[in-house]
Amino acid sequence: MRHRAIIVCLAIVLALITLFVELHAQAPQPQGQGQQVQGQGQGQGQGQGQGARGRGGRGQPTGPSKPTPRWPDGHPRMGALPGEKGIWGACCGSLSNAQTPYQPWAKALYDYRRNNEFEPHTRCKPSGGARQFVTPYGTEIVEMPELQKIFIFDIGGPHTFREIFLDGKPHPANLVPSYYGDSRGHWDGDTLVVDTTGFNEGFWMDRAGSPHTEKLHFTEKFTRSDFDTLRYEVTVDDPGAYTATWSNTFQMRWNGGQELFEYVCQDNNFAPVLLVGQEEKVDRTSVIIP
Amino acid sequence: MRLKAAIIFCLLAGLAATVAGFAQEGHPLTGVWYGDWGPNATQRNHLTIQMQWDGKNVTGIVNPGPDSFPLKLATLDSSKWTVHIEADGKDDKGSPAHFVADGKLENIGSYNRTINGTWNYGTTKGTFKLRRD
Repeated sequence: MRHRAIIVCLAIVLALITLFVELHAQAPQPQGQGQQVQGQGQGQGQGQGQGARGRGGRGQPTGPSKPTPRWPDGHPRMGALPGEKGIWGACCGSLSNAQTPYQPWAKALYDYRRNNEFEPHTRCKPSGGARQFVTPYGTEIVEMPELQKIFIFDIGGPHTFREIFLDGKPHPANLVPSYYGDSRGHWDGDTLVVDTTGFNEGFWMDRAGSPHTEKLHFTEKFTRSDFDTLRYEVTVDDPGAYTATWSNTFQMRWNGGQELFEYVCQDNNFAPVLLVGQEEKVDRTSVIIP
Repeated sequence: MRLKAAIIFCLLAGLAATVAGFAQEGHPLTGVWYGDWGPNATQRNHLTIQMQWDGKNVTGIVNPGPDSFPLKLATLDSSKWTVHIEADGKDDKGSPAHFVADGKLENIGSYNRTINGTWNYGTTKGTFKLRRD
C-alpha cells in the first residue's frame, strides 16, 4: 500500500512537470505588465508600450494606420469591423508614479506589495478598473448599440467581463461592492467616457499594487485616435487611499486578425501556492501567467 | 487508506482555497479580527474586534453583541506596521476599565493577517493576538 501511494505521488509530480513544460512552451508570454507600458507623469503621462501584433501582444505596427472606424451615427467603433477580428493589446502596468498622492498607509502598502506580489489576480480573481487591461492576451471591446451596452472581455483572469451601460441612467443607489463596480458611459465627441463606482476591495487596481478602498471612483476616457490606437486616460478618485484625485494616460494597440480564446485561469495557473498558501511560502522563481 | 486520506486532504485544501479567496485588499485594519487576550498563557479570553477605515480614521467595536463597546482610538503606523488601540470597556469583574493595546501587524499581504501585542488597564497587563478572518 505504501509503495502504491509513493507511485501515485510520483506519477502526479511527473504529470505536473510534463504539463508545466508543455504549457510553458506553448503559452504566449505576458507583456505590458509594468515594464512595457508605463505612464510618464501624473495627469499628462503617455503610455510607452506598443501593444501588439499577434497573440501575446508583441510586435509593432507595420505601417501608417487606417483612419478611425465609425458607426453610421458617426461615433468611433471601439471594436472590430463586421466580418473582421481584432483585440486590444495590454496596457497600464502601473497607474501610479512618484507623484501619486498616496495616504501614508497606502504608500506603505504599495511598497510592501512591490516586494510581496501576493495579488488576487494570480489567484484567478477578477480585477476591476485599469487592471482589467493588464492581461497578457489582450482585451476585446464589444459594442451592442441595440442594448445600449458595451462589454469589455479580457483574458488572463477568471474568464469574465465588464458591462458598461450607455442608457443614460445613473448609478443605482446602495450598490453592493463588486470587483468591476457599476460602469456608466457616455460619448463626449469621439471619446467614450466611463464612470465607475461600487468597487469592492478584493483586487489590485493595477499590476503594480496601487491600493484602493470602497470609496474608489474611476473615470476612464477611451479615444480611438486611429484604427490601431486607443488612448486610455484614467482618473482615480479615492479619498480613502489618496489625498487628491490623480490620473494617468496610456495607449493600447490594435491586434488585427486576433480574437480571444478560451483561457481558464485555474487550469493554467503556474503558481498554485498563491491559491492556498501564505505569502511567505510563495516560490517567486516560478512562472506566473495569470 | 492513504489514498483516501490524500483525497480528503486535497478536498480540504480546495475548500481552504475557496475561503481564502475572498480577499480584502484595502486598508490593512479593515475587517473582523478574532483572537484572545489574557494576563498569561493559560488565562485567555475570547476577543473579537471589527474595524473599518473611513478615509481618515479607523473606527470599530470590541466583541460585537450585548457586551460590546466601541474603540475609542485605533491608529496604524504604516512606517512600522504597528497598531495602537484604546477602548473604554469593562474588565472580567464588570468594572469600568480603560484598555490600551499595542501590537504589530504581520503577514500584511495575506487575507489572514495577524496582530500580536500587549495590552494593559491600570496595573494589569497581558498579551493579545488577533487574526483577520
